[in-house]
Amino acid sequence: MSYKQASYDEPFIGELRSGTTYKIPGKVEEKVLDDLPAGSGREKLPLPEVAEYDVVRHFTRLSQMNYSVDIGMYPLGSCTMKFNPKFADRISTFEGFSEIHPLQPEKSVQGSLKIMYELQEYLKDLSDMDGITLQPLAGAHGEYTGILIIRKYHEDRGELDKRTEIIIPDSAHGTNPASAAMGGFDVVEIPSSDKGTVDLEALKAALSNKTAAFMITNPNTLGIFEDQITEIARLVHDAGALLYYDGANFNAIMGITSPGLMGFDIVHFNLHKTFATPHGGGGPGSGPVAVKEHLKDFLPVPTVSRDGDIYFLDYSHPKSIGRVAAYYGSFNMMLRAWSYITYHGSDGLKENTINAVLNANYLARKLSGKFKIPYKALKKHELVLSTENTGKRALDLAKYLIDHGIHAPTVYFPLIVHEDMMIEPTETVSKADLDQYADVLIKGLNIDDAELKSMPKNLSVSRIDEVKAAKDLKVKWDLE
Amino acid sequence: MSVNQEHKEMLDFLQINEKSELFSDVPNNVRKKDLKINRGISEFELLEEARRYSMMNQGPGMINFLGNGLYDRVIPTSVDSLLGRTEFLTSYTPYQAEMSQGVLQSLFEYQSLMCQLTGMDVTNSSMYDGYSALGEAVRMAHRINEKAEVLLPETIYNTKLEVIKSYLAGLSIKLIFYKINMETGHIDLEDLKNRINDNTCAIVCEQPNGLGIIDENVFSLHEIKKNAILIAYVDPVSLGILKEPGAYGADIVVAEGQQLGIHRSFGGPLLGILSFKNEYIRRSPGRIIGESVDSNGKRAFVMTLQTREQHIRRAKAMSNICTNQALMAIAAASYLSIVGAEGLKKVATLTYQNSKKLKGALLKSGKLSDNQLTGKSFSDLLVSFSTPVEKLQDKLYDRGILGGVPLSRFLSHGKGEVIPNSFFFSVTEKTNESDINQLIGALEVIS
Ligand SMILES: Cc1ncc(COP(=O)(O)O)c(C=O)c1O
Repeated sequence: MSYKQASYDEPFIGELRSGTTYKIPGKVEEKVLDDLPAGSGREKLPLPEVAEYDVVRHFTRLSQMNYSVDIGMYPLGSCTMKFNPKFADRISTFEGFSEIHPLQPEKSVQGSLKIMYELQEYLKDLSDMDGITLQPLAGAHGEYTGILIIRKYHEDRGELDKRTEIIIPDSAHGTNPASAAMGGFDVVEIPSSDKGTVDLEALKAALSNKTAAFMITNPNTLGIFEDQITEIARLVHDAGALLYYDGANFNAIMGITSPGLMGFDIVHFNLHKTFATPHGGGGPGSGPVAVKEHLKDFLPVPTVSRDGDIYFLDYSHPKSIGRVAAYYGSFNMMLRAWSYITYHGSDGLKENTINAVLNANYLARKLSGKFKIPYKALKKHELVLSTENTGKRALDLAKYLIDHGIHAPTVYFPLIVHEDMMIEPTETVSKADLDQYADVLIKGLNIDDAELKSMPKNLSVSRIDEVKAAKDLKVKWDLE
Repeated sequence: MSVNQEHKEMLDFLQINEKSELFSDVPNNVRKKDLKINRGISEFELLEEARRYSMMNQGPGMINFLGNGLYDRVIPTSVDSLLGRTEFLTSYTPYQAEMSQGVLQSLFEYQSLMCQLTGMDVTNSSMYDGYSALGEAVRMAHRINEKAEVLLPETIYNTKLEVIKSYLAGLSIKLIFYKINMETGHIDLEDLKNRINDNTCAIVCEQPNGLGIIDENVFSLHEIKKNAILIAYVDPVSLGILKEPGAYGADIVVAEGQQLGIHRSFGGPLLGILSFKNEYIRRSPGRIIGESVDSNGKRAFVMTLQTREQHIRRAKAMSNICTNQALMAIAAASYLSIVGAEGLKKVATLTYQNSKKLKGALLKSGKLSDNQLTGKSFSDLLVSFSTPVEKLQDKLYDRGILGGVPLSRFLSHGKGEVIPNSFFFSVTEKTNESDINQLIGALEVIS
């Protein structure tokens, strides 16, 4: 498969000198700044002075040195890099949505509030939860919101002083322990069983009257469904703790089962994964949090409620944790998720889930003779393989893959499988692409190590010295 | 349909008959029976429906005096166009650096531009929004010196305060409020000085402050701060004309970056800007892009200092942040590049000019009381009326004008009533004489 990415020796925007051409409207009157308080004025403003056409060319050339979902398969495990529908791009530019200030009177923003209300209802329906906030700004932000709700719940019962621990499996994403620790909890990590699922004995041993919550995702980060989930929920609740659902893997179960049915108390969604809002090279995301009835009072304010046909911002949660963001959340991302759900509908959403799981299992089977795929064969939306049996390093194979114009899987996560690749094809990829992916990856096993280590060669740069980046720390240009 | 044919081949390969067998591991007692959500619709129907909803909103085309953090500024069409490049829009965090140099260099340029704007050494590649970045900044200060008291202006917005409190939930930090002089609108330096002691972790100052005033006392805080960390929460556009925080001794700078090329979109997505001194880099949250070289010696960029982050350090990470606001950072970088130094200075100058014009017109209208803050406003002009006005914002709205948010909406935790009958009217470079005249005309009838 031949492939060449564009490669420019692109200077910094600060080095271009074509002179500003953009016109700001209005006329500055003489001596306007003379009455600024003494000593408050700016002496030097060292920003670029570049013509608009040069700025556009600069960033366009940069963009050509960047792979994306619109270019091809992007099976980054745990990230659900599915096709981002273009209708959502279009809708998000409607002026009636994009040019609205959050402090406008409620009667002037009924359209936005209706979108939010309907999205709340959609997500509650999909998750079988009772209350929801759209305020959190990413998955990890949702986790932290959940942690604050957990605190408030135990505080309300007079148990916060004693419930100091949050249990997390060793396969968990790094944000889970980080969010728990940020909220002041001690993190207790439990090992997974030899089936790659929660070890019930280990869980029982870890649970006590010090436990505030157990945080997991289902399917877990190995792509395996925790089929003892009902028992897990019972154990956690019997210990007086709450069960938290990291919704990063919701694309594997949407429409088939739900966190509510499984017994979870708190859930966060990643609209930038499951609901196809674009990831923007790292963000923005959106991480709504839904809860069961007994936790509704703790939700951040405001949420959106309805009185007949009138929608309003509802500040009535009596024991609210307060606020986690400046306004109501990432509205533009909510709008895109609303569009995605409305378009696909109950039938399409379920179909998407099924096809995501079909694709992952197909790819797992294609690769299974060549790579060790630990734990049970039936996967959900993603698979985790190990390259250890092949003698190749996962990192080298990743660089080999990107050299062929296809994005690498997530590597070295989850931490419990050595030399692992975590592959999540999603539903928006054809069999032909899956076949090609498997073929290219398997062919890589025949390439000798020296050659692999010389890759990539077809991208805008070759392998980058990461050690130097950290050692000779340079985090901005030194132009003046 | 050929797609179904492909699926059939895949099922055969998996030696199963039905897709449902893929879910044989989901126990019956947790199976979902039905969804209330309607069946799917076509793109055409969706666009019609979405347009109908968007028309239920009012705002575009109205006269606008809303601000207090988010502003209706000129956004060059090129910024939107660049953000629409699907290579930026539909890529993930640049984990495979060699394949993602476009996003990485753009973010590196954002970091560089923000350092130039703020006068600081380091800027990370973005935080969620200004308020959450401020919460993270306070946590960062606490990591640096492990002290327990954080000083905040008594005029800090209640929403900002609530977000800070959320970020501090797991720490033993005491928030202490210092006074603002309610005649000038400036920090009461004596009061602040008296509150600084050996336990002071950080001093948060705002420029302009919660009353919208350009606070001349902010510039001398480094003289009294002792060992405390000085955190400056600034308006990034104001830095077109106001002294940069790096020049007045700030240790950490936080800003909301929406004004730099981002649409307001009912409040999100926004952009949290976080800049700081070099010496604090290893205690800082968030992703940082670093420059390096590739194996051929060519300049190349990667995410660096990742050992601070959650995916490596887990429970001991500096923060839990993972997904950030990368695309909004690219918006800000392209905005600043397009308008340039001259453009930003003009935007800031026009804003200042318009706030003075508006204040002059309001004073002349005879509606205001004799007691107005003597300090100078930047975007957010706070004025007090001589008589109480109920529901001003709604009444103005009925006359096609957005604005007139009462001070009490922002300061309900304390000082809201100190300046009675006071309301905000915010201006930008877009505000013109006719807007001002229409506001004055409407106030004639209402108040
Ligand atoms: C399993 C899991 N949990 C949590 C997160 C955190 O989500 P976010 O990046 O939106 O903060 C991710 C994604 O990065 C994830 O894959």
